[in-house]
Amino acid sequence: MELLLLVWRNLTARLTRSLFTWLGIAVATASMVLFLSFGEGLRQALTAEMGNFGPQIRVVAEGTDAFSPPLPELPPEMLDQIKALAPDLGILKVIPAVVMFRGGFDPATSFLFYGLPEGSDPRDFYPPAQVAAGRLDPWPDGAVVGAKKAELSRLDVGRPLRLSRDVTVKVVGVLEPASSMVDNFIFVPLKTLQRVLGTENYGVFLLLLDPNADVDEVARKLEAAVPGIDAQSTTEALKFAERALRIGDLIRFGISLVALIVGGLLVANTVMMSVFERTREFGVMRAIGARRRFIFGLVLSEALFLSLAGGLAGVLAGVAGSAVINLYTQQAVGLALSAVTPRLALFSMAIALVLGLSAGLLPARSASRIPVTEALGRI
Amino acid sequence: MLRAANLSKRYRQGTALVTALEGFSYDFPPGATAVVGPSGSGKTTLLNLLAGFDLPSEGEVELGGARLDRLGEDERAGVRLNHAGFVFQSWNLLPTLTALENVAFPLLLAGVSPQERRARALGLLEQVGLAARADHRPNQLSGGEQQRVAIARALALEPAVLFADEPTGNLDSASGHRVLDLLLEHAVGERRLVLVTHDLEIAARAERVLHLRDGRLIKVEEAAAV
Repeated sequence: MELLLLVWRNLTARLTRSLFTWLGIAVATASMVLFLSFGEGLRQALTAEMGNFGPQIRVVAEGTDAFSPPLPELPPEMLDQIKALAPDLGILKVIPAVVMFRGGFDPATSFLFYGLPEGSDPRDFYPPAQVAAGRLDPWPDGAVVGAKKAELSRLDVGRPLRLSRDVTVKVVGVLEPASSMVDNFIFVPLKTLQRVLGTENYGVFLLLLDPNADVDEVARKLEAAVPGIDAQSTTEALKFAERALRIGDLIRFGISLVALIVGGLLVANTVMMSVFERTREFGVMRAIGARRRFIFGLVLSEALFLSLAGGLAGVLAGVAGSAVINLYTQQAVGLALSAVTPRLALFSMAIALVLGLSAGLLPARSASRIPVTEALGRI
Repeated sequence: MLRAANLSKRYRQGTALVTALEGFSYDFPPGATAVVGPSGSGKTTLLNLLAGFDLPSEGEVELGGARLDRLGEDERAGVRLNHAGFVFQSWNLLPTLTALENVAFPLLLAGVSPQERRARALGLLEQVGLAARADHRPNQLSGGEQQRVAIARALALEPAVLFADEPTGNLDSASGHRVLDLLLEHAVGERRLVLVTHDLEIAARAERVLHLRDGRLIKVEEAAAV
């Protein structure tokens, strides 16, 4: 008959109430796990994405953030300027590109076009890219489509793809699924996209560096030498993404905190009611010789047990929910956007623990402080 | 040992000060001592003070060599655990535990190992004739059986003093006699039984009877005279 057995007996003696409380905690924790799993999923997807991203530096017009499609604001002279600096800085290849986004939030009707120069193909952008049908090179007037985009918009090889009123290209290649953002891209010739946008400018210069070059150093030197640009390294982009994700995490945690507080109040209410109902029981324990801290520990353990069991169920439900979400996002954009990482699971359990502790402290204190004579009704 | 000297207890009820016990002094000798008196005579207050459930307004209480009137709540609980056992009129047992677990509870508090707890608790249940009911919960036991489990529990740590407050109050006469026999069996050698009752027939089974009235000890009767 250990303390845990006492806790278990007390909770199961009021089974329905304990079950509802446990369920409340589980739902609150599951909702937090799900909310935060988006941040973790995006983090994982981005890290994997950046690891597979070919160019080490992305040059865009000053003020463009790392994850927005850049506007065609880089003039051709700038390309010459950077090409001239390339040998000294250890830049092996400069790929000028243009990015165009069409459509809305629905993945089936949104299109992200990448205009690549002649002699360049999707592998420069994403080295593991492989062709599933047709060819890899969109030049002179074709389009190479990512696997998910091809599936969602039915863009098989040979299908025409209208970029604007007077510019239409034909699908010449479809990529193998890569579980990457590339799955949603359409690569077209640079000149074609510039014609669509009515510009000679570029949106981005993708730089492939000498493996021995110090990426951040090169980025700094470029920014100093060419005014009006942002040279973003992969690590810098990840840092930027991390900042954005953290803000998102905080907002999501804030929302789920409401559910968590409600869960905590449920536990506090359950334990407090149980304390009131068991006043005599505590009196008997104290009469026999139980010290205050024994009663305190017993009641606190009940709150902790409820919270941890609810937290565990919540994490498991969160894992299941995250898997369901990923089924959908895999289907929609070819990416798993939700992830329950070990650190998220541990964080959730820690929150459940804190919840149990805070919910149990007051009832435990009350239970341990009832005078023996009062508890036994001996006044 | 159990000794009270000049023990008084006063409660504040609204603006009035109520005296529940006044100037009680008695050195409880080994054996059974009954405390009798009408309702409101101070019996419960006296037991509360002797057992350290409450602190006196004045006076001294000594139990097992410790001055309870000088100790805090937790220290008094420690003294109770090691030196006293309790049997109340009702609501003695922890409802979520089996008879065996109830008997083993003081042993758990005293830090006895699980195996030894079980063995000793079973032995005690045998002594009170309830070994066969060891795995029953209190609500599966009759009133008399519950009191016998409570006695087994009170004896678990072989206390020097056993306090019983109207232990037969809720029982039929056969069960009541059995419970009383068990309590008196314990009050041998250096052990003491303090039996609070309003039933003079029960009190007559003790070796001495203390009569309380209006919070004062008015008479001490020895067995021969009872």
